Amino acid sequence: MDEQKIFEAMVNILKPYTKDTALLERATRDTHILNDLKVNSARLVDVIIKCEDVFNITVDDDEADTIRTIGNAIDLIHAKLN
Amino acid sequence: MLSSRAKALLMFQNGLGRLMAVVLAPFYFALIRLMGYRIRDIKAVRAACRREFEKHEGPWLICANHLTMADSPLLSYAMLSLWTHLRVFRWIPWNLPERNNFRNPFLVLLCYLSKCIPVQRGGPRTEMKQTLAKCAYLLSRRQRLLVFPEGGRSRTGRVNTENFSYGVGRFLDNDQEGMRVMCLYLRGDGQAAYSTIPAFGERFTVLVDVFTPEKSALTGLRAQRDYAGHIIGRLAEMEDNYFGFCRQ
Repeated sequence: MDEQKIFEAMVNILKPYTKDTALLERATRDTHILNDLKVNSARLVDVIIKCEDVFNITVDDDEADTIRTIGNAIDLIHAKLN
Repeated sequence: MLSSRAKALLMFQNGLGRLMAVVLAPFYFALIRLMGYRIRDIKAVRAACRREFEKHEGPWLICANHLTMADSPLLSYAMLSLWTHLRVFRWIPWNLPERNNFRNPFLVLLCYLSKCIPVQRGGPRTEMKQTLAKCAYLLSRRQRLLVFPEGGRSRTGRVNTENFSYGVGRFLDNDQEGMRVMCLYLRGDGQAAYSTIPAFGERFTVLVDVFTPEKSALTGLRAQRDYAGHIIGRLAEMEDNYFGFCRQ
């Protein structure tokens, strides 16, 4: 799966957890999930679990802790899929 | 994994706290009395906690609902008598307060001497890992850790069963041998929603529930969510009991 498709899937995953979905329309790889999208830090775990389901991957604690931006998530997912 | 230096510093903090408990414990107790706070059936609450602590030395994960910033000292006051604070310092739980609430140097010192490990919610990964490693180390030494599983004060005034943090699940997912969980539900009669401190002269009810966590069939983040959900569910049940029975 190419990075653009992962990005689009990530945006869909983040939608239910983002207070202002308009922020997602301007989202880029550098968008910080907690600071820019105002996703609750506790809900970041839900986002990662959803990623596991959507992409059929497993993310461990250490890997989950590295995810701060959409780009971090894309890189991790991309590396796991390839 | 915690470095030897970090372990030594933690034990130094523990030792210094133990020495200063002679001054600080009476100070906290006097402050609570001065504020006019009273715990309903406090002798029964302390007896229940003592019975559990005598039955099982540790590790203990103490999980409580969170409505005010005075919850930690109030819970410690409710669980253990002044004499127990002085005699069995190890029974006093370690706390994980939000760092941003302790900017004043006096409060930082008070926090340090009162078995606190400040955390920064959503803070740097390395710091969070270090804090988790400290907690794991303390639990491996059969210490008690007091956490608020909701991840903050309940904004609705009720245990938040929808939007809670899964962080507490990490402690249970770490395969700590012999871990037991003590759930405490603390609420003042006049406490309708969350606040900074309880009202002057407030009278509290404390409910105690103890269980041994069962190993989750899930793994990783899902297991953590499972454990956290179980604890939150218990607290919510205690809250239902409180409103259904105690308030009558």
